[in-house]
Amino acid sequence: MTQAGGHHTERVRQRTHEGFLRHKGFRWAQIAALVCLVVIAVYFFVAVRLAEAPGGGSWLGYLLGTMSAGLIVWLACLGIRKRVITAGHYSLKAWVSAHVYLGLSLIVLATLHTGFQFGWNVHTLAYGLMMLVIASGVLGIWAYATLPQRLHGNRGETTRKQMLEALQSLDRQLHDLALPLDREGAQVARLSLEETELGGSFWRRLTGAYGDCATRRARHRLAALPAPAEPRQADALAKIAIVLEQKSDVLGLARRQMQITAFLEGWLFVHIPATFALLAALTAHIVSVFTYW
Amino acid sequence: MAQEFHLKLITRRAEGGDPIVRDRQLEGAEATIGRASGNDIVLADLTIDPRHARMRFSGPGRVSIESVSDLPFEVDGKSVQSVELHVASRPVVTFGAYRLAFAPGYGDAVGVTVTREADEQHASPGIFSLQAKVFGRRNMAWVLGAGIFLLCLLVPMILVLFTANPRIRPDEQWSSGPLSRAHAFMEKDCKSCHANAFVAVRDEACLTCHTADAAKAPKALADARRLGSPFEPRLISEHAPHAELIKAAPLPDGMGGKINVLVQRALNHPTDRCASCHIEHNPAKGGSASAPLGDKPKLVVVQTCESCHSELKMRLPNTGLIDTPDWSKHPAFRPLVMMQAGPAPKFVRAALDTAPQEHNGLIFPHRLHLDPMGGVAREAIALGRPAGYGAPLECASCHRRDATGGGFLPIEMERDCGDCHSLAFARVGGELRNLPHGDVSKAIATLAGGALPAPGGSDRIGPGAFAASGATAYRATFSRGGACYDCHTISWSGDTVRLAPTKLADRYLPRGGFNHAVPEHGGPGRSKTGGFACADCHRAQASDKSEDVLIPDLTKCGTCHGRTTAQIAAADDADCTTCHSFHAPGAATPKPGQPPLRTLRWPEAMRSRAEAWTPG
Repeated sequence: MTQAGGHHTERVRQRTHEGFLRHKGFRWAQIAALVCLVVIAVYFFVAVRLAEAPGGGSWLGYLLGTMSAGLIVWLACLGIRKRVITAGHYSLKAWVSAHVYLGLSLIVLATLHTGFQFGWNVHTLAYGLMMLVIASGVLGIWAYATLPQRLHGNRGETTRKQMLEALQSLDRQLHDLALPLDREGAQVARLSLEETELGGSFWRRLTGAYGDCATRRARHRLAALPAPAEPRQADALAKIAIVLEQKSDVLGLARRQMQITAFLEGWLFVHIPATFALLAALTAHIVSVFTYW
Repeated sequence: MAQEFHLKLITRRAEGGDPIVRDRQLEGAEATIGRASGNDIVLADLTIDPRHARMRFSGPGRVSIESVSDLPFEVDGKSVQSVELHVASRPVVTFGAYRLAFAPGYGDAVGVTVTREADEQHASPGIFSLQAKVFGRRNMAWVLGAGIFLLCLLVPMILVLFTANPRIRPDEQWSSGPLSRAHAFMEKDCKSCHANAFVAVRDEACLTCHTADAAKAPKALADARRLGSPFEPRLISEHAPHAELIKAAPLPDGMGGKINVLVQRALNHPTDRCASCHIEHNPAKGGSASAPLGDKPKLVVVQTCESCHSELKMRLPNTGLIDTPDWSKHPAFRPLVMMQAGPAPKFVRAALDTAPQEHNGLIFPHRLHLDPMGGVAREAIALGRPAGYGAPLECASCHRRDATGGGFLPIEMERDCGDCHSLAFARVGGELRNLPHGDVSKAIATLAGGALPAPGGSDRIGPGAFAASGATAYRATFSRGGACYDCHTISWSGDTVRLAPTKLADRYLPRGGFNHAVPEHGGPGRSKTGGFACADCHRAQASDKSEDVLIPDLTKCGTCHGRTTAQIAAADDADCTTCHSFHAPGAATPKPGQPPLRTLRWPEAMRSRAEAWTPG
């Protein structure tokens, strides 16, 4: 019996690798949900009793605004915190978990702070930037929760290094095979060798739009070449066709890998700059309110 | 040694280490260069044609190279089709990735070192990461953050703090919402209200245009016009002296309200400012998205009437005001009762239930005038319909409504009494001559003066008689049977007549608004069942002397106000605002949105003011 229990414990321990989302049994999710519920209840209880519109200028608005601003500054501190490595109770995982859930609760806090009053002004700019930061953060959560698996599923047992090596090897083959060809034949090989872009721009990586890929064009042009007289050249062309096909396959795999990586990393290219913009807009929002009080 | 080429082929290893070097000798004075394996010099580069160029000795120490494929090659960075090389100058020729370096060899031989230039670049696994490709995240963050800080805070702040009248107004982006239509003309000039940075909008800013202070009001109106207001500002009085108002106002009900007020006061955002109740930049509570703002600033009631007018003495020990915590505890009316008539009359506030007596100096029995069977009634019937009578007197025979219908014009003797109480004292050339009313000395002068007509027939019309002139007429006029005697209290000191000063009350209850135009208040129009006529409130028919104060007490109001329609058809609310308003407690609170903004446009406002001032 004792031994069986031991086995059980062992298995549980193996399973208990938990991500930041499930940290401590969703502790921060619960705290954030509770904060939201309390704030919503207070808002709707107080809003009908307030003489004025329950916007940022009411006492409820000031309270929610102070809470939201404090929260934003704390959330932004994750950038500093993650560079300091500690363990234990306030581990980075706990911190990230709190960052995610308290960050989401900001949707409720800040929206109620606005009292649903929006306009073309610095105040709504700060709100919009905050929502952009949160939305990009949500993308990030989705990316971290699903994409690593998809990255793995995509590449199978092939590592990224192996993909690049395969491409290099195929290019070498292509080069050597093309040497005996005449000018047209060589140009087809050169098209694939010299103009194939593996990654490309941000949007190309994200959308995976490689319709004008040079290797693909090379394959089309290869098929259109007239059959050469020399058997040696004909043989080379046939082999080149196979190599180009293989290269296309490896390119596809690598590019899919890049696309998933782009999703995995891309949200941060919005999240971080938008956070800086938000901190500036938030400062402008607060200072301007007190300037023109 | 014969003319021949000594080739030295150097191949670099991709993985580093010593390069592979091979030597070869080409027989003959000519050599072919190309990618194809049949060439003398084979260059494995796809940019090179299978048969690209031919190289031969063109003289002692000279080598010429010419393209046989139309494709060029490079000499000293220039693309050429053919070239004549002086070997002694150690020229270098480039074909694609290959470099051919020429040098004199033994005898006539020429050494050619063939090297493959830089190998192709291999991608590193870092290429999979976005960071290898996309603009710097950190740079973007700093640029965006700094840009917004600059444009949204620093630039507007500098302009606000250090310029008086900037050409651009970037502080407009700080506006949390549009202004009401009445104030929209100031929309772009934040500082017209937000005069000092970090100081909440003060009353002085509002009073620039809105002060009712008689000394400042004309300038306020002029200022409003100068600032571009399309509307005449409403001139506003304080409810009470500001210092007393602060002391009288308790903290609002509820913990939230109390904290709010205390925090705001602590943060130099007092809650007793005009802007504490009249909110701008804010949609009305429950306002729709399409019409979020009204014509005027949104009114937020911070304190109710009852909250200050309860236990007021505790906060304001010197107050003479009686607490009115609710309608049922509204104190009895305490009208201003005249204690001494004259040009500077004296009043006391006396509760109606003490049956106060008014001293207006006039002898006037209402009962006598209203008795339908009495002599007055008979005379009124005799005067006939064309003269405006023809029936016993009623209230409206003497009391004439003002232009609004809500009040009455002051009694004027000649107009309101003169049809019966003639002031005529003589007939000159068929025309009656009237004594001037309102000034005894003028009346005496008229009776005694040169204008005095010759004694003649009696022109007695109505009360008052005279049949003499000069001293006799003078004495007769002010004696029993004389024109003045019936209504004025007259005393003699020797030959000098004295009339008690008279003054009729303008308004008994100047701290409350009562509208006589309401049909249920005896006004014109159709009244609901239970509505009142004059006599229901004013017991004039039973009053024998003018000392009687004929206004009804509050219980009369309570017949309808505060009742339900089940109790009386004419039931109405009993809200403080029905009779009082905050800024002018003597008038009812205007209905929301009254007066409409369009009536406040300058031409309309001036016209209506002119009409209000026109007598009659």
